[in-house]
Amino acid sequence: MTKRKTCGYFIPYGLWLGLFVIAPVALIVYQSFFSLDHHVTLANYATYFQSGVYLKMTLNSVWYAFLITLFTGLISYPTAYVLRQLKHRQFWLLLVILPTWINILLKAYAFIGIFSQDGVANSFLRFIGIGPQQLLFTNASFIFVATYIQIPFMILPIYNSLADLNPAYINASLDLGATRWQTFYRVIFPLTLPGVKAGVQAVFIPSLSLFMLTRLIGGNKVITLGTAIEEHFLTTMNWGMGSTIGVVLIVAMIIVMQLTNDHSGRSSQ
Amino acid sequence: MTQPMIELRHVTQRYGTHTILKDVSLALESGKFYTLLGPSGCGKTTILRAIGGFDQVTAGDIFFDGKRVNDLPANRRNVNTVFQDYALFPNMTVAQNVAFGLTIKKMPADKRDDEVAKALKLVRLSDYGNRAISALSGGQQQRVAIARAIVMQPRVLLLDEPLSALDAKLRRAMQYELRDLQQRLGITFLFVTHDQEEALAMSDDIFVMNAGEILQSGSPVAIYNEPVNHFVADFIGESNILPGHMVADYQVSFDNRTFECVDAGIPSNEPIEIVIRPEDLTLTDLDHAKLKVTIDNQLFRGDYYEIGATDDQGHSWLIHSVRATVEGQQVGLTFQPDDLHVMRLHEREADFEARLETYEEVEGTAHDEA
Amino acid sequence: MKKLSRVYLVLVFIVLYLPILYLIAYSFSQGTTMTNYHGFTWQHYRDLFADPRMLAIVADTLLVALLSSLIATLIGTLGALSIHRTSKRVTRDVLLSLNNILMVSPDVIIGASFLIFFTTLKVPLGFTSVLLSHIAFEIPIVVLMILPRLREMSPSLLCAAADLGATTRQQLNKIIIPFITPGIMAGFFMALTYSLDDFAVTFFVTGNGFSTLSVEIYSRARQGINLEINALSGVMFIFSLLLVGGYYLLQQGNAKRRQRSQEAAQ
Repeated sequence: MTKRKTCGYFIPYGLWLGLFVIAPVALIVYQSFFSLDHHVTLANYATYFQSGVYLKMTLNSVWYAFLITLFTGLISYPTAYVLRQLKHRQFWLLLVILPTWINILLKAYAFIGIFSQDGVANSFLRFIGIGPQQLLFTNASFIFVATYIQIPFMILPIYNSLADLNPAYINASLDLGATRWQTFYRVIFPLTLPGVKAGVQAVFIPSLSLFMLTRLIGGNKVITLGTAIEEHFLTTMNWGMGSTIGVVLIVAMIIVMQLTNDHSGRSSQ
Repeated sequence: MTQPMIELRHVTQRYGTHTILKDVSLALESGKFYTLLGPSGCGKTTILRAIGGFDQVTAGDIFFDGKRVNDLPANRRNVNTVFQDYALFPNMTVAQNVAFGLTIKKMPADKRDDEVAKALKLVRLSDYGNRAISALSGGQQQRVAIARAIVMQPRVLLLDEPLSALDAKLRRAMQYELRDLQQRLGITFLFVTHDQEEALAMSDDIFVMNAGEILQSGSPVAIYNEPVNHFVADFIGESNILPGHMVADYQVSFDNRTFECVDAGIPSNEPIEIVIRPEDLTLTDLDHAKLKVTIDNQLFRGDYYEIGATDDQGHSWLIHSVRATVEGQQVGLTFQPDDLHVMRLHEREADFEARLETYEEVEGTAHDEA
Repeated sequence: MKKLSRVYLVLVFIVLYLPILYLIAYSFSQGTTMTNYHGFTWQHYRDLFADPRMLAIVADTLLVALLSSLIATLIGTLGALSIHRTSKRVTRDVLLSLNNILMVSPDVIIGASFLIFFTTLKVPLGFTSVLLSHIAFEIPIVVLMILPRLREMSPSLLCAAADLGATTRQQLNKIIIPFITPGIMAGFFMALTYSLDDFAVTFFVTGNGFSTLSVEIYSRARQGINLEINALSGVMFIFSLLLVGGYYLLQQGNAKRRQRSQEAAQ
C-alpha cells in the first residue's frame, strides 16, 4: 500500500483525534486559567488549594469513590468466581451485561421509588422489625446505588481474567499440596490481579464524577468532583473554576491509571 | 510379588456418554521408569489425572500402598505432576515456584531454601533462582517444573508429555537427562507420551494404550519384538504386517509359501498375522532368496536406506538396508525364523502370555535335543 | 460450599434485576406512585404513546444514536486500519493512548471540555453539538473492537493475495473488510449502546431546544415519580433485550466460526 493512500485513510480519524481528543483537553486546561471576568489568572488554583471547601470536597469524593470501588470489588470477585464454574457461563455472563444496557438514569430512578418512604426497602425494614427509615437522600443510599450500577463493570474484567487463567495452575497448586484456599490466595488471586485492576479503573474514575446520582439519590448531600464541575459549568457559569476542578479530576484519573496499569503485563504482550 | 506402590483396578472413566477408560488395571512398582504410550485421545492423560487426584473415576479403585485413595484429594496424595505446559506460576520467580510446595507444607525457611537449592542443582539451574519464569527458555522451564515436583519427594512423579513442546534436539537431550535423573533419585516415574521412540528409549516398562484400553505392557524390547496385535506392531516402530495362517507348530504360511518360525500353540490353519521388522529383512541375490521382490523406491536416511518393494503377490514391503539397491530391480529377501513374529487375531495380552508359557518349556527341551 | 456459592449468585442476580423489574412492574400499576401496587393498567403506556413531546424525543434519540454510530463506525474503521498499518511501534502506542483518552475520561470531563470546545468554535448547542459529541465518544470503542480482528489476521493472507495479483484496493475490499466485518458490527453495536446510554455528555452539550431520552428522564425524575417514565423503561427494556439478543447471536456466530476454523486447522 502506498504511503499516500494510507494518509487518506488517516485524515478523518486524525481530524477526530485533533479536534475531539487533543483540543478539548487543551481547552479545559486553558480555561482553568481564566477568571469569571475573562482575565488570565492563577486565582482558580489558589482558591482550590487554599479554601478548605474544595480540598475537603475532593477528599470526600475520593473517599466515596474508594468505598464504592471496595464494595463493588467485594461483591464482584466472588460472583465472577462462581460464574466461571457454571455450565452455561456465556448465558449467565450475558445476564450480568444486560443491566448495563438499561439506561443509568432509569436505574437511578428505580431507586427513587424503592428507597422512598413507602417503598419496598422500607416495607422490608418494617417487616424485619426495624421500622421505616429515611433512605433516600442519604450518603448510604448514594453508595448503594453507585455500587449497584458499577457491579457489572467490575464483574466483567475479573471474569475475563479468571477465564484466561490456565486451569493447569490450579491443578499444579493442588498437586503441590495446597488447599483450595491456599490455591486461591497464593495463585488464583495474584494471577487475576490484572482483572481486578482493570475493574478498579472502570469503577473508580466514573465514581468520582457521578453527578446525576448525587442529585437524584444523594439529594445534594454528597458533592463529588463531578457534581462540582457540573454546578460550575451549568449553574453558576464559572467555567474557569469548573475547569480547574476538571484538571484536578484529570490528574486524579492519571494517578489511578498509573497505579492500576499492569506494567509487567504490558511489556510481555 | 511385593505389594505394588500404585495400583489401578478395573478403572473406568466416563464423561457423559463418552468412555475414556475401559476397565483399566495396572500396577507400578517402586523405583522404575514407566511409560504410558498411545495416540492422542487414548486415555493416557486421564490415567495420570486419576492417579494425581484431579478427576474422580467413574468406576474401579485406585490404591497407594494397598490403601484405597479414590476419595483422597489431589493435595493429599503425595504424588506430583510435571504438566504438559509446565504450569509454572508466572507471578513467582524460579525459586519461589520450586519452594511453593514446601512453603505450603510449612517447612522452616532455612531448610526449605536448602531443599530448593538442591533441587535446582539437580536440574542444573543453580544460578536461576531469582529469574522470572518468562525469562526462561522452554527447556529451562521444563527443568524448573521437574525441580518443583521432585523437591516434594513424591512417591511417584507423573509426567504429562513434558517433552512435547521442545524441539527435536532438546528433546533428545532431555530424554537422557530425565532417564538419568530418575535413576539417581530412585523415584518412580510415570511418563506419558505419544512418541514411541521416546518410550522405547527411556522406559523400564511400557503400557501401550489405545481407545481407553491397555493393549500390552512390558519391557521396550519385549514389546518391540513381540507385539501382541496389529495395533501395537504398527504403532511401535515400523513393520511389515501380512496375513497368513498357521500350518503346524513352528510352521507358518504367508505369501503362498511356508516358512519356519518359532511360534507354537496355535491350531493348524488358524488365520494369523505375521510381523517382520524392516531391519530384519536382508537383501540377497535371487538364488538365496526366501522372497523375491521388485524395488519400487529408495530413500537415503543417513545410517540406512529405506526401501519400498512389492512381491509377486502384490504385498508391499518396507526394508531397512545399509546397502543401496536400484529402483526397478528384482532382488531377493531373506530372514531368520526368529525374525518372524506370529500374532493371533484378537489375542489379548493375557492369552498371549499364557500360550507362551505352554510351549516355551517344550521349546526349551526341543532345543536341548537338537 | 457449592450450594452456598449458588445461593450467593442467585442473590447477586436478584439485586441486579430487582430494581429493573420493580420499575417495569409499576409501569402497569394504577395510581401515580411507585408504592403499593394498585392493580393492572395499560394507562401509562397509553399516556406515553400519546405524549407528542416524548415521542419526538424518542425519535431524536434514535436518530442521534443511529446516525452517530454509523459515522463513528466509518471513521473508527478507517482509524483502526491506519493504526494497524503504522509500522513504528512508538507512533502506534501514541495513537492508541490518544484513542483511549475518551474511553477512560469521566463523562463530566468529556461533557465540560466539549462544551468549551463548541462554545469556542461557536457551534450552536443542540442537535449538531449532540451528534458531534456522540460521534466523538463512540469512535474509540469502534477502533478497539476492530483492532483485535485486524491483529488476528495473518499477514501472510495479504501477501498471498498480493502474490495472486490482487491490487491494494482489492486486498482491502476482498480480504481485509470481510475479515474484520464481525469487529465492525460489534463496534457499531457498542457505539449504539454508548449513544443510547449516554447522559452526562449530552446533558452538557445540549441546548434548551434539544433533548434526548436520558436528559428527559433526568429532568422528569428530579420532579419526582412519574409512572410514564416506568412505561418508558418497560419499552426500553424490551428494546435492550432485542439489542442484546442481536449482539449475542452475532457473537455466537463469531465464536462458532472461530471454533470451526480452529477445528479445520487441527
